[in-house]
Amino acid sequence: MADKKVLVVDDEIHIVHVVTIKLRNNGYDVISASDGAEAYELACSEKPDIVVTDYQMPVMSGLELVDKLRQTQQTADVPVIMLTARSFSVEEQQKQQLKISKCLSKPFSPKELLRDIEDVLYQQALSQQD
Amino acid sequence: MVLRLSIKKRSVPLVPIGVGIAAFILAAALLVHLWQRSFGVGWFIVEAVCCVAGAMVVTWLGWCLHRLLESVTSIARQLKQDGEANKLDSTDVADELADAIASRIDHYRQKQFTLEEQIKQLQIQLQLAQRQKHNTDAIIYSIRDAVIVVDEFNRLLMANEAAGKLFGFDYKDSQYNPISKLVKQDKEEFTSLLNKSRINKSRATRRELTFADGDRPRTFDCIVSCVYDKREQVCGTVAVLHNITREKEISQMKNDFVSHVSHELKTPLASITAYAEMLADGEAADEKTQKEFYSIIQSQANRLSRLIEDILNTARIESGLIKVDKKPMSLAILIAEQLGMIKGYAEEKDIEIITQKPIIFDQAYVDHDMMSQVIVNLLSNAVKYTPNGGTVTIETQVDEIAKVVRVKVIDTGVGIPEDKVEHVFDKFYRVKENDKQAKGTGLGLNLVKQIVEKVHEGRVFVTSKVNQGSTFGFELPLAVNEPATVTG
Repeated sequence: MADKKVLVVDDEIHIVHVVTIKLRNNGYDVISASDGAEAYELACSEKPDIVVTDYQMPVMSGLELVDKLRQTQQTADVPVIMLTARSFSVEEQQKQQLKISKCLSKPFSPKELLRDIEDVLYQQALSQQD
Repeated sequence: MVLRLSIKKRSVPLVPIGVGIAAFILAAALLVHLWQRSFGVGWFIVEAVCCVAGAMVVTWLGWCLHRLLESVTSIARQLKQDGEANKLDSTDVADELADAIASRIDHYRQKQFTLEEQIKQLQIQLQLAQRQKHNTDAIIYSIRDAVIVVDEFNRLLMANEAAGKLFGFDYKDSQYNPISKLVKQDKEEFTSLLNKSRINKSRATRRELTFADGDRPRTFDCIVSCVYDKREQVCGTVAVLHNITREKEISQMKNDFVSHVSHELKTPLASITAYAEMLADGEAADEKTQKEFYSIIQSQANRLSRLIEDILNTARIESGLIKVDKKPMSLAILIAEQLGMIKGYAEEKDIEIITQKPIIFDQAYVDHDMMSQVIVNLLSNAVKYTPNGGTVTIETQVDEIAKVVRVKVIDTGVGIPEDKVEHVFDKFYRVKENDKQAKGTGLGLNLVKQIVEKVHEGRVFVTSKVNQGSTFGFELPLAVNEPATVTG
């Protein structure tokens, strides 16, 4: 999965930092943003292979970002993993509607996140082969 | 009534009476004729004919009377014979009749007495029923919940003032009006609930109904029960609507609180666990990276600790469990003490802190630790939301007329949109527009408000203009004629 580009979006700089280190240590190319609006711009210009985004962010929330990505042709199919620190998780219906691949609750394990990213990208590759 | 008959047989001289009367009339006519000579022979003949006719009429009347007397005499005779046959005379019959009538009269008197007693009892029962109805009405009218009673045709039988206000009708003059006409269209969910309950013959149906009321929707817990008659047929419906808007708001606030706390606690915890795992897995490449990770873990642990402390302080103040030690103290001196806490942070952002010389007689009764937290929270907020190179000014004023000491923290920061200003002291409230400027929990200003207003009987205030800055401050009652306590 090396050389795959991951967009990490979180307003918590320390979370972005730790995820970036973990992914770079495992051969991924990482780009990052601190809110949804900035992430959308970056997704359009950089075309990442996968997006890891926080749920609650200023300016544009994680759900708003995914919704906007789905409405844009060039980012409509990009897989998304969502991180959330809220007491509730994303509703299943919303998850399917926005084609969110996985949801992880904070606090999360960087190892677990890495496994999920690999799994989602593998599934994506399989579906593209079909 | 006693009837007594006594009839004797007597012969009646009818012809002589008739002739006598005729002669008398004739003589009277002659006398009149002689007195009125001018009338002539014609008038005399007429008078004579009249006299003869009169005599004939009188004779006929006498004969009729005679026949009547004979009939009565015959009846009396028959009665006497019957009485002898039964060995009773007419006096015994009369006595028996009198006894019977007296007995009936007694019976009716008894019945009248009984009826009068029943009327009295009914009047008492009526009064009791009226009093009971009055009491029931008074109870229903005094209930703060809306109460509506309709009959089987959904016509209003009874409603209290709360129901009248809720549905917008005159509750006193709307009896027997169809409920569908009294309740406005925007609340027709209620009338359909009444109909459904009546059709389904439900013993009790409970539903939450939300009615629009301007900007603020009002929610009611509505319980509808059918009323049954002796034949178990639905003869009406009773609806009670309890306003649960406040409960709903509190419930929503609790949910928001849990959600906010969860988010705020999990965020630093996520950093701590992630960096700890990275260290444990040897993902920190060198000693410098390791130190950086340890430092992040430490700062996030401190953040978590402060957050927990803020939550606990807020809860303690709200519950009234916190121990308060108030002493007269100069606020200007207290501010000077706390400036050191914020100095380093202000220098980082190149922000100038402008203070005034301590003024005398600005003492207020304050809890030193709590008021220090108020000042630190206001100062750190001012520095946090002021761009690099700005200024933060702290003023202390004494209002001798209002007998208050006033503290103002004036910044040249990003400011707050006008429609958001009134919410800045709400628990967990964050101005979305300023989210990028700085991180926060939304607890700091709420804690300031709780400490100033709940613990110190003071008042907080705020004014702000976007891109120009904000002024946050508070007033406390002035402690007069008390020596100031200088700490530190």
